[in-house]
Amino acid sequence: MAQPLLEIRDLTVGFDTDRGWIVPVRNVSFCIYPGQTAALVGESGCGKSVTALSILRLIAEPPGRILSGQVLMEGRDLLALPETQMRSVRGKDIAMIFQEPMTSLNPVFTIGDQIMEAILLHQHVTAREARDIAERSLYDVGIADPGRRLNEYPHQMSGGMRQRVMIAMALSCKPKLLIADEPTTALDVTIQAQILELLRKLQRQANMAMLLITHDLGVVAENADVVGVMYASRIVEYATVEDLFDRPAHPYTEGLFRSVPKLGNLAERLATIPGTVPNPAHFPSGCKFHPRCHRMEGDAKCGQIEPSLREVAGSHWAACHHVPNHASSPETSPRLDHRREVVAMATEDLGADVLPSAKEYRP
Amino acid sequence: MSRGDGNSGFPVRPAVGYAPGGAMSDDLPLRRTYLQHVVHDTLVPVASRLGLAWVVCLAFFAVTAPFIANSHPILMQEAGRWSSPMLKSLEPADIVLPVAAIAAAVLLVRRKLSAGQGLGMVAWVSAVTYAATAWPSAPQYYATLRGARLELMSAWAAWTLLRFVGAMVVMMIVLLPIFVLPRRATMVAGACLAPLVVLTLVFPVRPPELVVYERYRQKEGSGQITFVLRAMVPYSANDRLRDQPELRLTPPRRGHPLGTEPNGADVLSRMIHASRIALSIGFIATGIAVVVGVIVGGLMGYFVGTVDLLGMRLIEIFQAIPRLVLLVAITASYGRSLYLMMAVIGMLSWTGDARFIRAEFLKLRKEDFVQAAVAAGLPLRSILFRHMLPNGIAPVLVSASFGVASAILLESTLSFLGLGLVDEPSWGQMLNQAREGSGFNWWIALFPGAAIFLTVFAYNLVGESLRDALDPKLLKRE
Repeated sequence: MAQPLLEIRDLTVGFDTDRGWIVPVRNVSFCIYPGQTAALVGESGCGKSVTALSILRLIAEPPGRILSGQVLMEGRDLLALPETQMRSVRGKDIAMIFQEPMTSLNPVFTIGDQIMEAILLHQHVTAREARDIAERSLYDVGIADPGRRLNEYPHQMSGGMRQRVMIAMALSCKPKLLIADEPTTALDVTIQAQILELLRKLQRQANMAMLLITHDLGVVAENADVVGVMYASRIVEYATVEDLFDRPAHPYTEGLFRSVPKLGNLAERLATIPGTVPNPAHFPSGCKFHPRCHRMEGDAKCGQIEPSLREVAGSHWAACHHVPNHASSPETSPRLDHRREVVAMATEDLGADVLPSAKEYRP
Repeated sequence: MSRGDGNSGFPVRPAVGYAPGGAMSDDLPLRRTYLQHVVHDTLVPVASRLGLAWVVCLAFFAVTAPFIANSHPILMQEAGRWSSPMLKSLEPADIVLPVAAIAAAVLLVRRKLSAGQGLGMVAWVSAVTYAATAWPSAPQYYATLRGARLELMSAWAAWTLLRFVGAMVVMMIVLLPIFVLPRRATMVAGACLAPLVVLTLVFPVRPPELVVYERYRQKEGSGQITFVLRAMVPYSANDRLRDQPELRLTPPRRGHPLGTEPNGADVLSRMIHASRIALSIGFIATGIAVVVGVIVGGLMGYFVGTVDLLGMRLIEIFQAIPRLVLLVAITASYGRSLYLMMAVIGMLSWTGDARFIRAEFLKLRKEDFVQAAVAAGLPLRSILFRHMLPNGIAPVLVSASFGVASAILLESTLSFLGLGLVDEPSWGQMLNQAREGSGFNWWIALFPGAAIFLTVFAYNLVGESLRDALDPKLLKRE
């Protein structure tokens, strides 16, 4: 089995607030392999964004603090690096794109200035070469007339364009891992599809790994190789995308799938998960999902003992007492070097006319 | 889904000119940045235009003072020989200021360079001019140094060292823009400056000597000077009219439209020369305040926590210092120096700027683009001063324009109290003279008083409208 590109071990992140310590990420472990797309799915506030930010150490300290764990990037623990070395990891080895394209670009500089600054910082090139690289990367993300766009300010562009610029900026330094924190949430549906396709295509071209943070199961189904489902600060299920969609093991994952509308299904109302997401300040005891769970049926164990994440079947991890053979399964940290095969063909066709071929372009 | 254009449904704009007069004529030009927008809005009200006009007027007088009001004739013929005593009497600052002003004006009109490059260009032009003009008087300074008993080295060694260092500095200044600016701009600037440098090297500017202003008038009276072209106000600020003692302390009259002072100097000439101090103390003191305030406030706002706590206490300590009392104490113990005054005023008035910047940075550090900049691995310096500062500097501009006004007032106060500069003219010091002699000399009170009032008023007008321009959440263009 290949070495993972990024391995997160037992990550716990806390925030020191007026109401005491809040721990939005607890004992999270998973791996991302080169070229793989790992998705973290979950509701707002389940800790998926905090996990992503912790990888790059972008949590504001204070109030935040990484309480325990390791983030190993090619064997190097990012959490132990001095800030100066961390700076060269950010943007160069690991790039990140954010949810809100409208505010993720600095309003007072031109697009070109912003892309070039990162290029000049991470690559040993002259200003002229940096401009060429910037122009090229704008072209790669499908922006027409990149030479002129470089001189424009963010407010002259639409949301979709800005997200493309953000992607161009993130990819201009050829990172090994791209963290995409809800990259399409703020965009409308057609643009969403374009952006995701673009990401897939660019990812394939560069064999770049991607950590996709989202709450949209459709996005997961189309893009992810492996999926971690997060609920109330923990990963409750981890499996390949096919496995997860075919055989969800955790009641929360089941509930999520039931609440997605299906084409051709005539239902009066969508199924919902009863109750609400618990407040991170006071999580319930035992299994954090038990107050909302349909499997519990008065089982006292659920309210007392928190189930650990165990490999309940081959390449399928779940944290639930009611999954068959949970108690007898080994407690391992999830690692899956898996690539999907299904959708790759379709995107090849679609990608071809969205993006001009990379070879023909000369700035 | 149609994906043909790859342009995410964004209308393709025409490549050339967002032509005025079309549907977009009411819109803001697309290339306008937030700062340009603010400047534009600031200049809409008539009041702020008038205020700015007064400041520009003042700047003009400050820059051209020695050419407008000077006892040395611009051109004269004495015993068949032509000469220009005025040019000879110029000091380095008298040349640097007009050159820098012209450079700034040219750059403002041409607009080829960005704001930063333009500022750099002006600074470079001034530096070269200063080096070229001040350089020939270096031996004089050296002599002064020796007079002050700084004989650490032998005269020869020191002189050689001085020359060497001077030459290095000049070379560095001259070569600097080659690395910084586009090549063409460098060439143009070089072409403009080369003749000037040559001129000043051939006709060195001398350090000030003991001048006898009345000799021109006496020679003219006795017919030794056959032709003379005088400045508009033919009196230097320090020309005490020793040859005309009867003109001391006279109200406005022919030849002295604003009257004369108790010791004979022409009020108009002194006022013109004083505009230089008024402007420079305002700008430099405020500049120091803004730089210190931005650095301290920026660090506080970005790092919060302990840094913020300590910074806030530091601000409180500085705010508790009574400015005037400290200034009086310092001038009393360290002597009267304009630079000291600027530094002290600057070091005492940064607290407001620091608070503004802190507040802005507290807001900005949560912004997505700042997070994105951190995630891109940019160094702290770039995040603080390149990405956050331009987005948060606006309130400081407002407070700076009021700061200039208050620095001018403070200097006037100090001069009025008799703790200002000794020989240099200043409006406040002139006010003080209004009560010298037997009675109340209304002309010495009125004109400098009006100048102080108008200048402070002008800065306040500009500041007010700058504040209005920033006030209604203007980022509505988003």
